[in-house]
Amino acid sequence: MLLPIFMMAHDPASDADLVERLRRRDPEALAELYDRYGRLVYSLILRVVRDAAISEDLVQETFLRVWNRVQGFDAVRGALAPWLLAVARNRAIDYLRSASGRERNAFEFEETDHPSLYSDMEPGILNADKTRRVRAAMEKLAPNLRTVVELAYFEGLSQSEMAERIGQPLGTVKTWVRAALKSLRIELGVAVAP
Amino acid sequence: MNCDELQDSYELFAMGVAEDPEREEIRAHLNRGCEVCTAGMKRAIQLVAEVGSAAPSAEPSAKLRRRILASVGGDRQRSLWTPVWATAAVLLLAVAIYFGREQRSLALNVELLRRELNLQNHELVRYTEAFAILNGADSKEVNFGTAQPKPPRGRIFLNPTQGVLLMASNLPPAPSGKIYEMWTIPKGGKPVPAGLFQSQSDGSAMHIRPGSLDLEATAAVAVTVENEAGSDQPTSPAFIVAPVPATAPR
Repeated sequence: MLLPIFMMAHDPASDADLVERLRRRDPEALAELYDRYGRLVYSLILRVVRDAAISEDLVQETFLRVWNRVQGFDAVRGALAPWLLAVARNRAIDYLRSASGRERNAFEFEETDHPSLYSDMEPGILNADKTRRVRAAMEKLAPNLRTVVELAYFEGLSQSEMAERIGQPLGTVKTWVRAALKSLRIELGVAVAP
Repeated sequence: MNCDELQDSYELFAMGVAEDPEREEIRAHLNRGCEVCTAGMKRAIQLVAEVGSAAPSAEPSAKLRRRILASVGGDRQRSLWTPVWATAAVLLLAVAIYFGREQRSLALNVELLRRELNLQNHELVRYTEAFAILNGADSKEVNFGTAQPKPPRGRIFLNPTQGVLLMASNLPPAPSGKIYEMWTIPKGGKPVPAGLFQSQSDGSAMHIRPGSLDLEATAAVAVTVENEAGSDQPTSPAFIVAPVPATAPR
């Protein structure tokens, strides 16, 4: 069962201030970043790798990566939480792929490749209310649709890998993925471009 | 591929699980600044982040925060024990300083006493030597300075086995960087260095050149002012000259 983690809505302005301080190499800002998002990051990584010790290593790696790469992040327009979660998930999936001997070729979107993609997002996208809606939307999905979403997100499987894992034709998996994402967009009010 | 054909793959691309040809197409659209795909990717990233935020809640260990901050040199978190250890450290430091000071004070006193003892031993040796010369049955005595209007005055005692003793008064301190040097002057020979000395603040001085001396072959004892290191030969006129009488045992 998915439980809401993000119980506090963070002011985007305070996130911008935090990013600015991180860019000035203020260790207190990193402490504040951890206090604000550490639990969220840890929960996500633990859900992926399912090992507490490894998760803590990856959380440390995540925050150090943010610390080292924050110079390229848009302090004013960037959405800090989505970027941080992308860094965290990438670290976790990277570990999972490495540990299972899977090639990394399907996992090539780096969160720092296109920093502008994290700018001008809807404010407060990770507030408590949105988290409840995400949980409800996930529970509303048919089991097969929920499975493919979780395999993609929490295990980093491509559609071909999913098809192999669950023993379904690739075409079927693609149909399920398309249907699951469409449902989530509608439930969460994230419409695709017209 | 056009943007419409790619829109179902934005989330997969954001999750890093898109496959070709959609993956390469989206990458190409983004790299050339495609506004439709950029907007679609922003929404996809938002959706993906929201899915991630719904992971089951878990609590990392307390030490993780310290680990992370320590790795960037910013660990300012203080444990509950920190004040206790800090207090203990301060007390230990105070005790160490106290005993350190006591030890240094004691060591200093020991050193001062040792120096004092050395000085007294040295003086005792000097006085022993001086008495040996003064009390020697075969010592000769020579006065000097009696005819000078502003003399250093004094006496020189010579003993063939104990050496030479000079006792002076009214002897001003040697100029800065200078020192008094005593000489024994053999008959028909060059002056022989007989040691360096300084006068006391009251103008008195006592100098001993221990060891044997051939009194019959010695013409005089003299004192000059020399550089602090002393000289092998006099470099200034002698201001004390005490001729040794040929036969004048006391």
